[in-house]
Amino acid sequence: MCPVRQLIASLALLLAAGSAGAQAQDAVSYRDAYRAMVVFDKYGGPKNLLVNQLQVLPRERGALADGLLLSLTGRSTQLNLPLDPLGRTVFPLQKAAYDENASLSLSRKGIAFTLRPQVSIAPRADGVYDVAELRSACAQALDFARYVDASQRSRQCAGVRFVFGKKAEAGARLRRPDGTEQVLPVANAEAEDGFPAVSWRFGGAERGQVATYNAPLAILPIFE
Amino acid sequence: MNKLLFLVLGTGALAGSLAGGTARAQTPAVNPMPDGSRDMYVGLGAQSAPRYEGSGSRKVSALPVLQVEWSNGIFISGMSAGMHLSGSPTVEYGPLLAVQPGRDESGTSVEVGGVGMNGLIGPAAGEKAMFMTGRLGGMDEIGTRLQFGGFYNVYLDPQWRLSSSLLVGAGRDRDGARLELNVQRLALAAGSHHRVSLTAGVGLVNRQYNETYFGVTAAEAMRSRFGPWQPGGGLQDVHASVRWNWVLSPSWMLTSNLQAKRLLGDASHSPLTQRPTNLTVSTAFAYRF
Repeated sequence: MCPVRQLIASLALLLAAGSAGAQAQDAVSYRDAYRAMVVFDKYGGPKNLLVNQLQVLPRERGALADGLLLSLTGRSTQLNLPLDPLGRTVFPLQKAAYDENASLSLSRKGIAFTLRPQVSIAPRADGVYDVAELRSACAQALDFARYVDASQRSRQCAGVRFVFGKKAEAGARLRRPDGTEQVLPVANAEAEDGFPAVSWRFGGAERGQVATYNAPLAILPIFE
Repeated sequence: MNKLLFLVLGTGALAGSLAGGTARAQTPAVNPMPDGSRDMYVGLGAQSAPRYEGSGSRKVSALPVLQVEWSNGIFISGMSAGMHLSGSPTVEYGPLLAVQPGRDESGTSVEVGGVGMNGLIGPAAGEKAMFMTGRLGGMDEIGTRLQFGGFYNVYLDPQWRLSSSLLVGAGRDRDGARLELNVQRLALAAGSHHRVSLTAGVGLVNRQYNETYFGVTAAEAMRSRFGPWQPGGGLQDVHASVRWNWVLSPSWMLTSNLQAKRLLGDASHSPLTQRPTNLTVSTAFAYRF
């Protein structure tokens, strides 16, 4: 067989094999998710002000409906993980699920999705955040980002973004040490799939507190 | 004679492993996992490749797939094995062992012992007749060699990796050395069914390496139709490859690779080199255990 024919035969084999797999379901390897998520768990730097969650990113905008679950299925493992409106859930690090090569799928079929780890700032029950603590939390998040991604070393903490579930719930104000308050503007954050958000950028030597009117879905660090 | 080849997977979610040549040392990305666990791919496919480096003829052969990683950092990846020693997500380094396939008069490699063999799809009748005359007739047979060395990889960011490996022990007198330098665009996105990784790089070898695989000794020149050729060391090749992994399910993957390689310097001018630029294409199904 001439080389060209051999090459064509090989490509034909490749395409034929690919067609055979076209019926694959939308399920993700637990192992792939595990290796992405365990990095934070093994990270030895300060992280007490942070939370690490697995985030489902559906290919179609707005596919995250109420009640959608992320199902972890293995030979001896069956867990239904509730997703928040941002598609996030606490990821269980389980050796049994890893060894069984378990899969992750959505409770509603037909939704193509990807997964990613998301590190955010831990919310407080009272909704009041010291500016110094927000700075420390952002610094912790930046240190972790630099740990996993060398290209982040040139970036700096610029602020934080409070993401809310509904426009009516969105809002926060800055309390300065002299007792004055400033209402922080609400914006639709495209980066958060249209969820309303309040961004607060760190000032020079500003001290005080940021108080939210309602519990945010997430508090994300802003790096620039 | 059967030839054992292995295909190396690019399987990472945060960072995929590379995939250059089928027989060269490969280092999969660090795969964090629970203590005592492992991640293993086993599969079978087909490959169309030059009969030997620089050959103008090709052959299609069966292609076993093997990649295993253990929680202690030890890995087997195709025909290489090593150990990840770095604790940093942005740097990988460690020792490396690799099998360098041999070469006989027909150009096919000497069997690698100790590992399961698979049947080959033999050359077509006309092509076989050509090989009966021996394209490398009169040339010394080169034995399979176990090479040892190390690897060092640096991630510029989670998508881009600079990788290097140095292996010694190849060649007629086991004193051949090869340094490979690559830049890689790795696949990302757990959940995506299709992952594409790109690799480009160069290979540098010492004189002993080139003399074995591209040189013609005086004795060989007497026995063969080739004139004597004493190549030196230096830049041996530039190569680029694209790997496409189709994740069919959490357990099954179709992995395919296309590599272009151009021999340079004395290797490209060797009388053994019929075609300095060659393509290798492969595809295989792999099951994840």
